[in-house]
Amino acid sequence: MAEIEVRDIRHVYDAGTADETVAVDHVDLTLQDGSANALLGPSGCGKTTLLQIISGLLQPTEGQVLIDGEDVTDQPPSERDIAQVFQFPVIYDSMDVYGNLAFPLRNGGTPENEIEERVQKIADLLELNDILHSSPSNLGPELNQLVALGRGIIRADTSAILFDEPMTDVEPARKLTIRRRVKEAQQEFEITALYVTHDQHEALTFAEQVAIMRDGHLVQYDSGETLYQNPVNTFIGHFIGSPGMNLLDCGVTANDETPHAQIGPHTIAVSEDIHDEIDLSWTDCQIGIRPSSVTVQVADPKEDTNYIPATVDQVEMVGGYQILTTRLDDTDVEVKARVAHDFMIEEGASIWLSFPPDTVQFFHEKQAVHAQ
Amino acid sequence: MKQRPWLFLLPALLLVSISAFIPLMTVMNYSQLTLLPGTEPYFAGLENFIAVLEDEGFRGALQRQIVFSFLVLITEIPLGLGLALCMPKEGPGVGLSLVLLGIPLLIPWNVVGIIWRVFTRSDIGVLPAAFDWFGYSYSVSSNTFDAWWTVLAMDIWHWTPLVVLICYAGIQAIPDEYYMAAKIDRASPWKTFRYVTLPNLRGVLIIAVLLRLMDSFKIYAEPFVLTGGGPGSSTTFLSTYTSRMAIGGFQMGRGAATSLIYFFIVILISFVIYIIMLNLGQGAGGDQ
Repeated sequence: MAEIEVRDIRHVYDAGTADETVAVDHVDLTLQDGSANALLGPSGCGKTTLLQIISGLLQPTEGQVLIDGEDVTDQPPSERDIAQVFQFPVIYDSMDVYGNLAFPLRNGGTPENEIEERVQKIADLLELNDILHSSPSNLGPELNQLVALGRGIIRADTSAILFDEPMTDVEPARKLTIRRRVKEAQQEFEITALYVTHDQHEALTFAEQVAIMRDGHLVQYDSGETLYQNPVNTFIGHFIGSPGMNLLDCGVTANDETPHAQIGPHTIAVSEDIHDEIDLSWTDCQIGIRPSSVTVQVADPKEDTNYIPATVDQVEMVGGYQILTTRLDDTDVEVKARVAHDFMIEEGASIWLSFPPDTVQFFHEKQAVHAQ
Repeated sequence: MKQRPWLFLLPALLLVSISAFIPLMTVMNYSQLTLLPGTEPYFAGLENFIAVLEDEGFRGALQRQIVFSFLVLITEIPLGLGLALCMPKEGPGVGLSLVLLGIPLLIPWNVVGIIWRVFTRSDIGVLPAAFDWFGYSYSVSSNTFDAWWTVLAMDIWHWTPLVVLICYAGIQAIPDEYYMAAKIDRASPWKTFRYVTLPNLRGVLIIAVLLRLMDSFKIYAEPFVLTGGGPGSSTTFLSTYTSRMAIGGFQMGRGAATSLIYFFIVILISFVIYIIMLNLGQGAGGDQ
């Protein structure tokens, strides 16, 4: 159990050759002791590289890794006491499940009676009791992944556990069960965990804090709710949520002496809190709004100027709700809105949309504008 | 159209029947007949088989064959695996090592025999001259021990590269994650070999062992060229014995019976080894 800190980590593959690629670029990140964290990002953003740097499988080109304040950058993985669960289950299939779980302890010279106790504890926690003496090659990838997890957390001195897209091989139907057991194990041992994935749903359900990476940079490290409500830039706005935030290119105009977003002939109010931050001379601005925050009305609101007329291009039923793809009239700006499953609307129909100012994010040069 | 799959299989079945089934049936037929030049063949039933099994020459050849194949396996497999582990995993060294290893495999069997025959000739050979230096009188034609280890060395020289190539391909196919996990689990180099490399090579090792077993059981050209099966019959192996029986001794019926017994022994031993290797150390409790 420990606090993990990476300081100004940079990693370059094939340095000095034509294939030189910067995988991780000056990343700072601190994982609190006992916290569940996720590292989320599109494929190739450097998340696995960062993970391997933390576990010690990779030496960073620059920067430091600290465990509980102690610099471990030059220590091999075996001395860091960090466990790692890989993308596909890594199992020693010449040993049974018990042998697999006991392997790290036996390598460390733990006496057999202690090993038995510890294996029992892990087997109870992960519900592996029935298969302790089975050969792992006869078990499915789900159970094997649990065995790999058990092997990671079996050492009492494990300071952190890292997961590298551990659900890749797991059948969708079983993901929920496996994820629950992983989460339970993390909470039971209050072990610092870092879960790498490109699946935001997995990241948000597992972790209290999510770090989002893009092109080797750490973009935002916050709770799931903050990421959803207050993305620092348009990338996160669009990346988090399904469908992502609507991002509408806009201009800035003064309306009643306060800045408004201008899209074609339509004017949209933004939160009062940020009025002072917006400069009327700005170009390259966007407003962002979650499809679930868009208010939809079928009847003409007449006098209410907050509503903007639009046409429905597409209606998609997504289980418990529908997603409307609409086009603001007299523009080619597309807005997605989320409505209840029993909302009656047809493609081609006219509707009116309203964007409540408090739910509208304002972005200048792709960065969110926040109240000071 | 339930017959359609068979239609697609037809070319393969046809080829197999021409290359394997028909010759095998012919041998089956011969093995039950007494065939001597100039006489009508007549039915002998199991007589040929009994005669072969009771023949001292056959038993001797079989014993030598088993010892030889055993020695081939216990040298070539560990040596091949060891060399494969030492080979570079990437870089310019890979191509160079693969080419060097491939050279012996490209040489035909009888040419290998001739190369070694030149090596071992008492008048111009390098080996006798070298041993002479140390005061050892080396001769493949008169010393049984020399003949044996020379045939063995020849086989090792010729075929260990095959084992290396098979193992090397197997090692390259082991995902890096296994080694990463072993590092994290604090496994020693020996334990990493024992629990990661070796189990992951099970499949390719089975192939290597079976190939070398069957091939070494069929060894013919090399001892034939080098020693002619001698001194005495000390390097007469099963194939040499069979061909002598059939062609040299004009006893086609007995030759055919020998072939069938020979065939059956190879299949039996291969099967037993295959089953043993398949189950070896599968899912056991691990070292305490």
